[in-house]
Amino acid sequence: MSSASRNRILLAAQANKPAETPLPTVPDFGGEATAERFTAVLSSIGGTVVWLDGLGQLGSTLQQLFPEARNTASPLFDATVPIHADTPTHVLAEIDLAVLTGEIGVAENGAIWLPEANMLHRALPTITQHLALVLDHRRIVATMHQAYAQLPSTGSYGKFVAGPSKTADIEQSLVIGAHGARSLVVLLY
Amino acid sequence: MNHAIRADKFLLDADRTTWHDETLWFVREKRDRAVYAVPEFQELRELASQIKDHTLSRLDLYLQEFEAAAQANGVHVHWAADAAEHNAIILDLIRQQGATRIVKSKSMLTEECHLNPYLIQHGIEVVDTDLGERIIQFREEAPSHIVLPAIHLKKEDVGDTFHLHLGTEKGESDPQLLTEAARQHLRAKFLAGQVAISGVNFAVAETGGVVVCTNEGNADLGVNLAAVHIACMGIEKLIPRLTDLGVFTRLLARSATGQPVTTYTSHFTKPAAGKEMHIVIVDNGRTQQLGRPDFRASLKCIRCGACMNTCPVYRRSGGHSYDFTVPGPIGAILSPNIDMKKHRSLPFASTLCGSCTDVCPVKIDIHTQLYKWRQVLGEAGEIPASKKWSMKFMGRLLASARVYGLSGQFARQALRLLPHGLTHAASFNAWAVARELPEPPKQSFREWYQQQPKSVPQPQTPQVTV
Repeated sequence: MSSASRNRILLAAQANKPAETPLPTVPDFGGEATAERFTAVLSSIGGTVVWLDGLGQLGSTLQQLFPEARNTASPLFDATVPIHADTPTHVLAEIDLAVLTGEIGVAENGAIWLPEANMLHRALPTITQHLALVLDHRRIVATMHQAYAQLPSTGSYGKFVAGPSKTADIEQSLVIGAHGARSLVVLLY
Repeated sequence: MNHAIRADKFLLDADRTTWHDETLWFVREKRDRAVYAVPEFQELRELASQIKDHTLSRLDLYLQEFEAAAQANGVHVHWAADAAEHNAIILDLIRQQGATRIVKSKSMLTEECHLNPYLIQHGIEVVDTDLGERIIQFREEAPSHIVLPAIHLKKEDVGDTFHLHLGTEKGESDPQLLTEAARQHLRAKFLAGQVAISGVNFAVAETGGVVVCTNEGNADLGVNLAAVHIACMGIEKLIPRLTDLGVFTRLLARSATGQPVTTYTSHFTKPAAGKEMHIVIVDNGRTQQLGRPDFRASLKCIRCGACMNTCPVYRRSGGHSYDFTVPGPIGAILSPNIDMKKHRSLPFASTLCGSCTDVCPVKIDIHTQLYKWRQVLGEAGEIPASKKWSMKFMGRLLASARVYGLSGQFARQALRLLPHGLTHAASFNAWAVARELPEPPKQSFREWYQQQPKSVPQPQTPQVTV
């Protein structure tokens, strides 16, 4: 059934398509690749930026920021719950705080590229109650163009995360914490 | 039933209509602020338009490139010529898993194919996980907007719905508390979901991957917890290169809700170890639209909803009045392609003001296409008799200077003499239902002009005072 439809669709697309037009080159529009801009935009969409003097400060900063977190998951310090690709769902569902490494920050929209290799489990960044992303401030670029230009590929799975999970589906009232992480802290160093 | 009659029902509640209008205009204003913050926004629109034009001009080739890349990634690719085939493929995949519970993230394509009722009819529990979608699913309604599915509801309506379905307290209308109740309810569904269905915002031919944009993270949660991910995409979702996403991700959320980007922009390229990923590529009338030169540009649409938020007719008539999956200006172009008879009134649900075209991030000439659909409908005899005959009559009248002058005289007299009840009878003059007729002038412009002195001395040089 499917292959007949495949041929029908491809033949119809071929027959009905317009004359070929060129594929434009997308320029690099430049822009402001600063931590200040990144911080301002991320704050405006519900995220928080905290500066670390160095990665050595990570543990103490997290303790200050998340004193209530019981179940933590992270490849960066001695977390309380070991998470890997086969961790069962009910274990994932109990995670209070996940601390992961972000790869690229985008100043124009506060988004951070998070590839699967940095997630421990694909569901962890959204199922955790709170998410903290550690980011080297030298990896901040101005725009999405520059971000994609730095990605060799998007791997098997990966995502840009820009702030905490949120919704405005009830009368356009902004509510932070829909299904995914209730907060996003970016730890810049 | 035509759009105007359905809109009349919406308009019965004047306060709600005003509120709906203002709410959507608020989103439009947020869009403007986000757009003005990007100096190259107009260049991005042009680039997006050109990329989509190019993709459509090689659509068959890009579809094959995408399929080959996806298959090389270990993704199963399915093709569906129409809605029925799309639904059958999905039910088959669910049954192969022996699954009975599925979680869905937002997909206008599955709405278009009426997937939910089909699956439910076959004994599958279907949970829409986008909050707005879940609300209207509880209420057994259709979405009234493609980005803001429950925009027609007030928080009190949601409170009543959740009281009934989720056991929240009667009269609770705090969005924070209601959202928390939905969070707890839906988390349980995510954890139990066996198969996850998602829509597709962009499909990248080069990588064979699909990109899904959400604010709530519901697609990511559903897909990454279930054993099987089924992504449903229309053939027009393709873009050629990964780097093209730089253009579209800068346009989409800014145009839709005025955000700099959606919270999650997720790239699904290969299934997780031990899991399955399927992509269903759907035509359902799209290749036919591709073959209509006047209307093929509608396939460039990235479903941001900006044309709805700005449309004076949509804002005052509500999404349900369109009775089509995609309402508003773009829906009024897409719908007659699917069923010209059923949707014949929609291209007339526009003032042709062009605001939709102005905000469209991929530069679709929406209002021009609406105007063209009216001509197509006219030629196909799909215009109501009253409109057809009055247009013919007006055409005759306007073609003759003498008849036009006489009828002007007649109208000025008639407006003075006829009783208000007659000139405003709703059955004769729908225009005057919500408007006053103008005060008739004593003479026409032509009469006034003819009374003027033949040559009025004009100043020889511009009169400039310093």
